[in-house]
Amino acid sequence: MEPMEFDAALGGKEHLPHSANSLKFAASRSIEIAAMTESILRPSKTKLIFQSLPIHMRRRVMSHNCKRLPKRLREGHLEQLKKSGQPPKQKRPSRKYRRRPTNLLEEYNRRQRRNVWLETHIWHAKRFHMIERWGHRLAYRPCDKAFRACYRATSAHCLLQDISYYTPIQIKGPIDIIKDLFSNITHSSCGLNVCAKAYLNGNREGTVKLYMPNSYPYEFIGKIDFFWISTDNDQKELWLFVHPSQIKIVEKVLYKFVSTIKTDQSDENTLENIYPKRRKISTKYSDIKVTTMAGQFTRFRLTGPKSHAVLVQSLKCVDNIEIVQSNDWIKYILKKNVDLFLKEKSEYWNQISPLNSPSQLPPRLVIGLVTKDPRWSRPAKRTKARTTQDTPIATEKLINIPPYLCTSPLWDKSVCDIVKSKKITNAKFIAHLTENHLVPGEINEDDPTLQSIPIVLIQRPGSQHSDYKKIGYGSGWDIIIPSGYGLPFWLTFIMFGARSGGLRETENLAFEMGECYLPPDSEAGKLEEKRIESELKDKYFKKPPSKRVNYIKLAVPSPFICPWNILLKDWGSNDGDKQFILRETSILHTLQDCLIKKQKVPKIENSDYCLVPIYVQILGKGNLTKHATICLPETKDISSGKKLMEPHHEDPNKKLRKQKRMEHRKYLKQMRRKRIKLRKTQVNVNQKLKRKHNSKPSEYVKAMRELWLPSNVESIRNVGVREVIGFVTHGAFSFSESKSCGVGYIAYNALVKLNSNALNKVLVRNTTSRQYRLANVNIIKSP
Amino acid sequence: MSEIMGDENIVKKKQDHKNPKRFPNKKHVIKKRLPVRPIEGDNVIYVTKKTNFKAQLDKCCDLLTKGENEIILHGLGAAIQRCCNLALQLEILFSGTCQIEVNTGTVDVIDDLEPLTDDVDFGAQVRHTSSIHIRIFRTALLGANK
Repeated sequence: MEPMEFDAALGGKEHLPHSANSLKFAASRSIEIAAMTESILRPSKTKLIFQSLPIHMRRRVMSHNCKRLPKRLREGHLEQLKKSGQPPKQKRPSRKYRRRPTNLLEEYNRRQRRNVWLETHIWHAKRFHMIERWGHRLAYRPCDKAFRACYRATSAHCLLQDISYYTPIQIKGPIDIIKDLFSNITHSSCGLNVCAKAYLNGNREGTVKLYMPNSYPYEFIGKIDFFWISTDNDQKELWLFVHPSQIKIVEKVLYKFVSTIKTDQSDENTLENIYPKRRKISTKYSDIKVTTMAGQFTRFRLTGPKSHAVLVQSLKCVDNIEIVQSNDWIKYILKKNVDLFLKEKSEYWNQISPLNSPSQLPPRLVIGLVTKDPRWSRPAKRTKARTTQDTPIATEKLINIPPYLCTSPLWDKSVCDIVKSKKITNAKFIAHLTENHLVPGEINEDDPTLQSIPIVLIQRPGSQHSDYKKIGYGSGWDIIIPSGYGLPFWLTFIMFGARSGGLRETENLAFEMGECYLPPDSEAGKLEEKRIESELKDKYFKKPPSKRVNYIKLAVPSPFICPWNILLKDWGSNDGDKQFILRETSILHTLQDCLIKKQKVPKIENSDYCLVPIYVQILGKGNLTKHATICLPETKDISSGKKLMEPHHEDPNKKLRKQKRMEHRKYLKQMRRKRIKLRKTQVNVNQKLKRKHNSKPSEYVKAMRELWLPSNVESIRNVGVREVIGFVTHGAFSFSESKSCGVGYIAYNALVKLNSNALNKVLVRNTTSRQYRLANVNIIKSP
Repeated sequence: MSEIMGDENIVKKKQDHKNPKRFPNKKHVIKKRLPVRPIEGDNVIYVTKKTNFKAQLDKCCDLLTKGENEIILHGLGAAIQRCCNLALQLEILFSGTCQIEVNTGTVDVIDDLEPLTDDVDFGAQVRHTSSIHIRIFRTALLGANK
């Protein structure tokens, strides 16, 4: 038994000191302390953070899911994961979280930062393939198979498209100065001027062809629709609706003339600041005010004979001002003492309602209406709109346009803003209905809670030449609505049987009508061509070599883009990259006459740079595709019914390609061997070879592509057995002609030769075919 | 719709001294509008110069054999002849079971005068075109001729 050691106070032998020297105490243990802190700060064993947790706080798969860690440790944990090489994978938030209205809106706003969305975007995104084009996210084609259905809609029913991407530009100023301004950027031979008498009263919409300042006939910008707003004072308003592919150039040109900076609402302050500065450099155009009004309107396009019925059914005009007097925007208008002509307009609309096609009305008519909320006129089920025919319309009604018809309060910016701000959302509308309408289905159209809406309708006449396309094909209405009300109108039209279409339908309609869609001498057309080229090239080179068409053997030097420069160089004596498309109406008419009568064509200026727009129709069998070559026939080709085939051509690159491939394979093998050797010598090198995911193809791939499709094409005129005179830019089977047709361009000098041979037919050959087919030629008179 | 190109020249000659405005002068170009259709329906057929004759004949036969009691054919201008032809063919095909009733009339069609120069306004002119309306109706019951 051991003797017990107690403190002396308890009767033991041990004596404790009265005081302890802490410094001495710590100093004697300093080594221990240092070791301890060291081990805490830098643990010799690398431990993960969650391993440091006490056992009762540990959870399964903690390292995978950082949410199982306490929050204060999460950051360090992610840090550690990053160090170990695995990228920390965050789980996608739950659908429930994502679909919460605030989060959803945030997400939508984030996505809209890159591209502009139209008002009907979400409706479209659910049903359409969306593509990025011209800074917008646009519907391309419906997800269901609807190609033919969309054509049928344009010819017999109603096709509906959202074309709100057209940007309105307002030009204010005295007429003379506007006329002078536009004389710089248009040319009188291409059609009527902006200030023609026919357009000035605002009853009709017109089209002008814009060119860069003083560079006619080169540097075409685009075709632009415009109309005048009739105002009482001498300050007139001109509105342009510009396609988004041309908006930047048009804006630049106009602002350069007016020599002010962009006048957005936000920039108004800065504008005033620089006002004295501006006055110094004021030109004769500084009286004109140009404003871009992007996003102020929504514009829908209805095409087809039934579009009139759809509009008649869905638009209910307000004919009594007393009913709508409580609307804020009406109050605003009444303060300004503007007559709305509600009754007369409503009467006119009712009178023309029994028509069966919009093409029976005056061409390009502009109508301003004030309608009730479109949600009132919606049918319960999707039904097809029909016109009710009771009385035949007097012919005078169809000829005369009442002068008040085109006036509309829509063009007042503040009216648009008021209408937008006072909009009743769908949810509120439904709540209002359930509260106030006790009998379901019964509606009170004159309910003052829902405001009336000013709209503008613009007629499109469609085809007006029976020998070119059937009369009235492509006719329809354009409707302009204040922004905010796009979806209610859209849904009402849909419920009345309109079929929705996207950009593909715009392209197709232009093709079926025989019009040029984005002509290749404009900036927009060039960009479009390049985009198509790169798309087709990518597709081509994705195929394995055995499945690729060998274009060298077929003698098609550039299958994915039409080389206009080389074509013109071959047919003329020039070597610039200038080119232009003939748009002089009188010359185009004489050319068409000459083609029919097989006469000699007149000579024009700059014929070396000139392309003529033509419409080709294949005679007999065969289909036309994009980029097909148009060739000059010989007399025997037309008379004899024999097939004309392009002989097989030798491909000089074939051997080179094979050689190159062998070399490359050898090189790859060498590299592989080297790698294996390296691995054997350095055992502990466990560096994973990082795969390079760069989008640029390697030198070898580039060289091989060059051998498949040589890019240095020098001449194309004489590559085949027949001379090449032009190309087809859009070719397909045309439902309206029940033939394969195409829109294309040929060199002017080639047309001269064609006529001097007394021929009015051409040979066409697809890029993937050896066969030449005979086709009819027509000049497109309104390119 | 129907083609009036064919008889346009004749109309012009007649109207020469009466209405000099009718001519395509240097200031205007003539654009055509779609003529107004009197009625529309499943059994109403508009005969044009462009539509395939056989296709329309088949369509009429289909309608009649499927129990339609009457079909109405409309023809305008140069399409009158085709319209008559169609009706007579149908009469032969359904001989004894169908009868024909013919009405003729005049239809006002509108041409737009689009200005070619800046100093003139849009115009319009009314042209009168002859039209034919043929009603083909069954006299015997369906299946009687089988």
